[in-house]
Amino acid sequence: MKAKRIRQKSSESSGAPKKQKNRKFKNLSSWFKIFSLKSGMDLPFLFLVLTILVIGLVMMFSASYPNAYYLHGGNSFYFIKNQVIFAILGVIGMFAVSCVDYHYFHKWAVPVLGISFFLLIVVLIMPPINGVHRWIQLGTFGFQASEITKFAIVLSFAHFINLNFHRMNTFKYGILPYLIILIPTLILLALEPHISCCAIVVLLAAGMLFIGGIQLKWFGMVLGGIASALLYLVLFTDKLTYANDRISGWLDPFSPASGVDTWQTRQGLYAIGSGGLFGLGLGNSRQKYLYIPEPQNDFIFAVVCEELGFIGAVIILLLFSLLVWRGMVISIRAKDKFGSLLGIGLTAQVGLQVLLNIAVVTNTIPNTGISLPFFSYGGTSLMMLLAQMGIVLAISRSSRIEKI
Amino acid sequence: MQRRSIVVLMIIVFAGFLLLVGRLIALQFFQGEYLKKMASEQQMADTKISAKRGTIYDRNMKPLAQSATVWNVVLEPAYINSDEKRKIICDGLGEILGMEKEKLNELANKKSCYTIVKKKVETDIKDKIINFKVKNNISSGIRLIEDYKRYYPCGSFAASVIGFTGSDSQGLAGIEAYYDKVLRGEPGKILTAKNAIGTEMPFEYEQMIAAKKGHNLRLCIDETIQKFMEKNLEEGIRNHKVKNRAAAIAMDVNTGEVLGMAVKGDFDPNEPFKITDPSEEEKINSLPEEEKSKARNEALSRQWRNKAVSDTYYPGSVFKMVTASMGLELDVVNETSTFTCTGSIRPCEGAQTIRCHKRGGHGTQNFVEALCHSCNPAFITLGLRIGTENFFNFYKSFGFHNKTNIDLPGESGDLFFSANGKMTQMDLAVASMGQNFGITPIQMLTAAAAIANGGNIVQPHVVKEILDENGNIVKTIDPVIKRKAISEKTAKRVTSMMLENATHGSAKNAYVPGYRVAGKTGTSEKIGLSTPGRKDYISSFCGFAPADNPKIVMLVFFDTPTGDFYYGSAVAAPVFSKIMQDVLPYMGIEKIYTEEELSKLDVHVPNLVGKSVTEAKNESMNNSLNPKIVGNGENVIAQIPSASEKIPHDGVIVLYTDAESKNSSVKVPKLTGLSLQEANKTAASFGLNIKISGVNSNDSAVISSDQSIAPGTEVAPGTSVTVTFIHQDGIT
Repeated sequence: MKAKRIRQKSSESSGAPKKQKNRKFKNLSSWFKIFSLKSGMDLPFLFLVLTILVIGLVMMFSASYPNAYYLHGGNSFYFIKNQVIFAILGVIGMFAVSCVDYHYFHKWAVPVLGISFFLLIVVLIMPPINGVHRWIQLGTFGFQASEITKFAIVLSFAHFINLNFHRMNTFKYGILPYLIILIPTLILLALEPHISCCAIVVLLAAGMLFIGGIQLKWFGMVLGGIASALLYLVLFTDKLTYANDRISGWLDPFSPASGVDTWQTRQGLYAIGSGGLFGLGLGNSRQKYLYIPEPQNDFIFAVVCEELGFIGAVIILLLFSLLVWRGMVISIRAKDKFGSLLGIGLTAQVGLQVLLNIAVVTNTIPNTGISLPFFSYGGTSLMMLLAQMGIVLAISRSSRIEKI
Repeated sequence: MQRRSIVVLMIIVFAGFLLLVGRLIALQFFQGEYLKKMASEQQMADTKISAKRGTIYDRNMKPLAQSATVWNVVLEPAYINSDEKRKIICDGLGEILGMEKEKLNELANKKSCYTIVKKKVETDIKDKIINFKVKNNISSGIRLIEDYKRYYPCGSFAASVIGFTGSDSQGLAGIEAYYDKVLRGEPGKILTAKNAIGTEMPFEYEQMIAAKKGHNLRLCIDETIQKFMEKNLEEGIRNHKVKNRAAAIAMDVNTGEVLGMAVKGDFDPNEPFKITDPSEEEKINSLPEEEKSKARNEALSRQWRNKAVSDTYYPGSVFKMVTASMGLELDVVNETSTFTCTGSIRPCEGAQTIRCHKRGGHGTQNFVEALCHSCNPAFITLGLRIGTENFFNFYKSFGFHNKTNIDLPGESGDLFFSANGKMTQMDLAVASMGQNFGITPIQMLTAAAAIANGGNIVQPHVVKEILDENGNIVKTIDPVIKRKAISEKTAKRVTSMMLENATHGSAKNAYVPGYRVAGKTGTSEKIGLSTPGRKDYISSFCGFAPADNPKIVMLVFFDTPTGDFYYGSAVAAPVFSKIMQDVLPYMGIEKIYTEEELSKLDVHVPNLVGKSVTEAKNESMNNSLNPKIVGNGENVIAQIPSASEKIPHDGVIVLYTDAESKNSSVKVPKLTGLSLQEANKTAASFGLNIKISGVNSNDSAVISSDQSIAPGTEVAPGTSVTVTFIHQDGIT
């Protein structure tokens, strides 16, 4: 009965504008009419995504080629080749997704959540890489289970908040379903362990519930509960040493007592500091020569700072800010609540990851594995991200925003 | 949908972004310099380019130490791009350098751009490697880097002064160490960016800072003078079985320029870590394993030690020239003051008696005679008159209480009775005769130079000029007069007493005909340092010439002679004389003969070849030579000694009249332990000549102490054997 209501509601809410453009939808070519003023996607957002993607690819190539050269048999293109292939596939996927009516994703909310839980359990029985169970490896193809999880949280929360929007102030409808989703997810993530993903998930969930209009006392209580659960994990389990080392290394990364754990942070800071105002120039990073471990991954922003300097780094931050801003505008003006919530969730995820990643690289917060969207190496993750941007673009098609 | 909530959320995100911009400002601007420095430190690898070390020349610009180009062979495994090439390179280098191929293969497989395979190979090997590269078409993977190796073309010549360098061409001893900063130049470097595993980055980032050549040094030391000194010192060590090395220093009395500084029992700076003395080497090898390295190190530091500046010794009677100066300067004595020597003296009430070296005593004598006798009681009496305070003041002004600051490393200070000059009457008594306080030979020499030059204490120095690579003078070391120790008049009076001493007194073994030598002998007991159960002595002689206008002052010093004699007059003085015989003419100092000397002069041998036997005979006899005809020919076809050589009056000249006779030879007889007359007679009876060295006197106390050609050696008839004569009076 609930499901029926959703369908009704969505068809109702999206009904009116759809009817207006019914003729156009019937014409298949109009689906790809991306520059159409009325039903086309939001060009500023698209432009921002593609700009950041191109910059990200260039920087990824620059950051990755020494590692590729030294560690992968002199093949400087080892990483960039994969990444470009996935980026092209991802952009195609993005356009495809942008043409889908996002209401279609209502159907996917629960299955995706199921897949997320399934993968989070599967990942725990996978062999650990660097001591953590984050990767599901299928031959040469590997991906992080948590990429699905983040999307699953955003999608399912958007779905359920939309469903129970008017009952968000009750415990039964406003809090309980989300706790039921969140707590096992967090426990599974903590078991990997993947604290940074926990943080993103918690922040995303909190943001969406906040916008969903839960009472702030619940908000506070649940947040408190999650915080104490995290505290418990940190203090009373064997994860203790794991987190503690990170914190002492964070406070003084240059102290020799901090040990090898701070090597990455330290080398990242050297790179940032070496950049100065204008940087050493594109391709001229020295720290990427095996000093920063895996400079193509989480610490790519340090290489960006070294090569492009403060100015380059700020421009990139500005582009991300614009992306978040434009995503938010699209979402606010989305045709319905589901669109808004989904758009906000997906945009916020990018914003949060950028924020946390750069905070880690600049040693503002303790080092934890968070990749930089569009920059860090990882094909699946990039495709996933572009698909999510596709959803935002899909939302933008029916959003009441001024289009160029 | 609550728009407000979304705005709040956006504000939070953007605030976060702003915070990050703030962090970037902090890191890139405020901490930027520090982080950048730390980053560069780990990123840059520098390869040193050696600077060519300066040459050390003697005063006539003969090179004594120089650096020659050699090559370091470097492998660049990162630039060897195939295993096939790697094998060719390893095999080729292995053969050329005589290294194991496995070792090379290991190096060639290292993840590196720079591995030194062999250091300092010579040019011929370098050429072989270049040929090998050309032949096998190898353009990368082997690199030859210029380096320098230190050569000492004269071997152990002046080794203690010049010193030696270590494996990185750093000065470790002598001039090489003292002037290391001047000589070494500034190494250049090649800066290369490197990655975290230490290999170079694959792109070009190279900056070269060229090396700066070191300056050259021109020493005051004259190679010829140094050679004379070393030769005679070595001979002295051999003849007198000197146990603990010997030293001699010669200096320009007015400028303080060290003209020669010889230490024997030294080393070859080309191989400084080789123990020179084979018997020492043997002794070390016979030691148990755990003691070997200690004994070896001790032996090495002993042979490296510059005895002339690093060792202190009791100057003994040589110091009497200083005591005499004090007495004359203070006017507590003059040339006519009389002293009575009874063979011993009690310096003060209740003190131990001190004996004179002449048991029976010298009787009553004036001050000049006392110096010529080197009479201990006379000088003790004089010392007591001078008093402790005056003694110490003069001691200081003569420069004994400070290092001379000669430009050589490891100079020792003195060892006085107390640092502030406090001494007892007994101390004063023995100090007056040069005992019981330690000074360095260079201090004694500087004091003697002051007596020679009219009372000035000069700054002794070994280096004359610092030159740049083109021979331009960078710096000249000017003579420095530090102070006046005594008045010119006193200096002149002491000089004439010393001249008398070397002409007729205890120093006459140092006499050089024609050259007015002034000097003083010394024999000091090594109290507390002797071999157990024996009395060890240091025999020394210090003097200068010519006495009327002194040019050169020299100290000769033998530590622990164990031969027939140990007195300074018997051991050191003849060596002094032999060195001076060569050095003074070399320096162009004019000979002035006394009548007595003229009568003993040698005769120039005339050229008799081609003349008939009778003619030759007559001419020899006219030249007061003693002809000896060999063979049955009619004409002289050869003669020994050859024309213009000099032999003593009534020397033998052997005249060969046919070719057969030329092959005859005679065995050199023993010519030592004889009086001059006896030696002459013996030599003549064997058809040999003698060349007199040392004291030329028919006095029966004069006997021959050594001969230049060992007894039993087969030589041609008429050959001159140099025989050294010494005065037998054992006088300190």
